[in-house]
Amino acid sequence: MFSIWRLEMAKVKIKDRDGGEHTLEAPNGVPLMETLRDEDMDVEGTCGGICSCGTCHVYVDAAWVDRLAAKGEDEEMMLEAIGEVVEVRPNSRLSCQIEMNDELEGLVVEVGPVA
Amino acid sequence: MSDSHANLNKGAKDLARCPFPIPMGWFFVDYSENLAKEEVRNVNVLDQEWILFRGESGKVGMTDPYCPHLGAHMGHGGKVCGDNIRCPFHHWQYDAEGWNKDIPYGKVTPPICKKQPILRALPVDERWGMIFCWYHPNGDEPKWELPSIPELEDAENYVKPHRGEWTAATAIQEIAENGVDFAHLRFLHGEKEIPHAEYSFDWPYYNVDMNHGHIVGKMFGPGLNVYKFSHEGVTATMVNYTQPVDRENSVIRMSFTHKKYEEGTKEAMIAQHLVQHMVGSADGEDSAGFEEVDFIVWNNKKYRPNPLLCDGDGPIVQYRKFFSKFYEGSGYSE
Repeated sequence: MFSIWRLEMAKVKIKDRDGGEHTLEAPNGVPLMETLRDEDMDVEGTCGGICSCGTCHVYVDAAWVDRLAAKGEDEEMMLEAIGEVVEVRPNSRLSCQIEMNDELEGLVVEVGPVA
Repeated sequence: MSDSHANLNKGAKDLARCPFPIPMGWFFVDYSENLAKEEVRNVNVLDQEWILFRGESGKVGMTDPYCPHLGAHMGHGGKVCGDNIRCPFHHWQYDAEGWNKDIPYGKVTPPICKKQPILRALPVDERWGMIFCWYHPNGDEPKWELPSIPELEDAENYVKPHRGEWTAATAIQEIAENGVDFAHLRFLHGEKEIPHAEYSFDWPYYNVDMNHGHIVGKMFGPGLNVYKFSHEGVTATMVNYTQPVDRENSVIRMSFTHKKYEEGTKEAMIAQHLVQHMVGSADGEDSAGFEEVDFIVWNNKKYRPNPLLCDGDGPIVQYRKFFSKFYEGSGYSE
């Protein structure tokens, strides 16, 4: 409740498109996409989180795949659609659908390729 | 005052003129000849603005004006491309069913575009030289189809329909209620007697027979009525397709036709007389058509949800219950 006053953060490890590694603080309750976008990880997140642009695609580290909430139908469809222009793997996710929480402390993801 | 009459002292300040939403149904939009191929127009009906367009193949679309992308009004600067409407803002295209058909720059089409229509579109049925649309408050699919009206489909044997148009400052439910209010025909219209009427409600249809076949009518939902007036073996047909403009205004529209009779014959004169009498006073009659008398009531009345009815009144209560089913999904109840 009212956590906007003092957001709890989880540390996430990000591999950018050039292979650079970053540790970022991602606020709980906020989609990971917004942190990637706002921290200049070259993630556009154009559609704002409604699974219609596919620009926040990430590869989730194998150890974390099963610890994330399952994909919804809209995310599945968007991942399928971007599969026509970039490589989509079993560990592909849209980072707008990864809402951060304490359980995700230490999450490791790699920013997906540009469509 | 007793409990069952507690509403009677409600008056000017308590009653509403038209407390109803727009009912579901097939409604007339415009005559076919008023929409050319590749034309886009804005129309105000059913309590909102819509765009109406006709594709190159002749197919008609009626949709919400505002592009689902960034909200541009497609009736101002939109263009027909093939059978699609193209938004002026970023050239996104939509077909008559509201499906997105083109986004000219995205590398990946949003999946929702392939899954469902994204622009609200009304089902359209064009027949009898008229464009009809199906409206439902929740966008449900049509719950019935438009009927066949042989008199409008047989140009060889029936005269070219004569058309009429009148504006009434009231809701379509109030206008249609006169169709079951048999007593008003005696007093407001000045008929000699309250007509004998047999009727049945069979949602979405209402059937009525007045004076043993003299007037036989059928309502096909709120937006279409067919009435046949017969006299000495001659029948004239009135097709009424009233449009709700908004919650308090309607345009009453009608077409009148009858079989082709040779000019000057008795049959031709009876048919013309019958048509004349449907609208206004006919020569040699004392009673009035709706043109002179109904509007003064419609345009000024208020709706009494609990009317004080007496024996001799028509089936007002059954009619209202029947009609309320056309509001299903709108949240309105009697």
